[in-house]
Amino acid sequence: MTWGVLVLWIISALVIVPERRTYRLIIYFCIFSLITSAAYFLLGSPDVAMAEAAIGVFSTIFFIIYAEKYYGLRENIERDRVRKRFSAKGLIKPFMALLLCAGAFALAVNFIPQAGMDDYLKREYLTRFMTDVGGENAVTAIYLGYRVYDTLFEALILVIAVVAVTHLSYFEQNQASGTSPNEMTTSKIAVLSVRIISPILLAFGVYLILNGHITAGGGFQGGLVLAAFFICRYMVYRIDDIPIGSVIRMEEYFYIGITVITIIVVFLGVAAYVPAALVLFYQNAYLISMNILIGLKVAGGFFALFYRFVSVERR
Amino acid sequence: MELFSLALFFISLFGLITSKNMVKTVIFLMFMQTSVIMFWLKMGIESTAAPAPPIISDPNMLKDIADIADPLPQALTLTAIIIGFSVTAIIVIMLNHLFRQYGTTEWQEIEEMENKKSC
Repeated sequence: MTWGVLVLWIISALVIVPERRTYRLIIYFCIFSLITSAAYFLLGSPDVAMAEAAIGVFSTIFFIIYAEKYYGLRENIERDRVRKRFSAKGLIKPFMALLLCAGAFALAVNFIPQAGMDDYLKREYLTRFMTDVGGENAVTAIYLGYRVYDTLFEALILVIAVVAVTHLSYFEQNQASGTSPNEMTTSKIAVLSVRIISPILLAFGVYLILNGHITAGGGFQGGLVLAAFFICRYMVYRIDDIPIGSVIRMEEYFYIGITVITIIVVFLGVAAYVPAALVLFYQNAYLISMNILIGLKVAGGFFALFYRFVSVERR
Repeated sequence: MELFSLALFFISLFGLITSKNMVKTVIFLMFMQTSVIMFWLKMGIESTAAPAPPIISDPNMLKDIADIADPLPQALTLTAIIIGFSVTAIIVIMLNHLFRQYGTTEWQEIEEMENKKSC
């Protein structure tokens, strides 16, 4: 089964190479992302699969907003339709590139590490994480315990990306006015389906965040689902005056909260002074509070990104 | 099975070299990242059968550690995915600006326009 999915994976990537039309590129990218997510799941990493699925959807939305603008110009439709005439001279460059890539691939195949890898770190992490950090999910234990620096800087990069997108995105007025930001409000099917789906999304997001330390899921995945919930509401109820500045401010406060908790719990080593009877409670409280903070931060950040793209960049 | 991720890496390298459209370039950059992630996840698996996710609800599961996927690459790639997305968001917004200014996102056309300007 894994082999089949991986073969499909390669095929879905190969389809993109000769494609010239922008919309098709984006749809193929979406399909590729979906297959990648399935492959991750089959490789025993549901956390990464969930993150990849959500991220694939978000990137596709951003690309589609670009493509919509691209096809808004009539000349682009015609340019996409025109096929370049075949010429032997035009084939030289791709042929050279193909030769280069094939050669590099043939070289690299020799460097694939063979079986019998050292599993020292894996054994250590898997046997010790329950006493060191707590919880049942080893992945959460690693990114909130052993490698909390990674999480800190990653969260910082997301904050920086949101701020950068907000400042780079072009706008004349402060809010999207005049043009309606979406057409979904007029569609009864969309309104009804969002009404049915959005409470489920909210419950699922909260479930993922609160149970991130014992099952697959966690702050990032739950935050992404929460952002999807807010986006659904935004699409249907046509909210034009979201104070996006305060959403970003809130995200920054959540980031400060994450940093403060990390400093107190991990860097100062408070765990050594906790009485033995309270250790389990203490560990769970740490994991859940970190997951909640990360989830809210990610939800705010992604909603700000989406809002910026849809309401400002789309015009 | 690591062959697949290597193959994707070099397919996307080929795409990066030959693509004329910037959207395609961005997509192939994301593909490259995906291939590296897949390679890492693959490295964490010892047995060829479908491995169990690293969620240990029962200490008896630790007896046969070869059947459990390695949690470390997963935690690292989770970080890498979010960072890759942040970078992509900034790239796409710059693409939008470029399109607004030049009306196209083909590498060669923008280069020609710039050459005309400087002449």
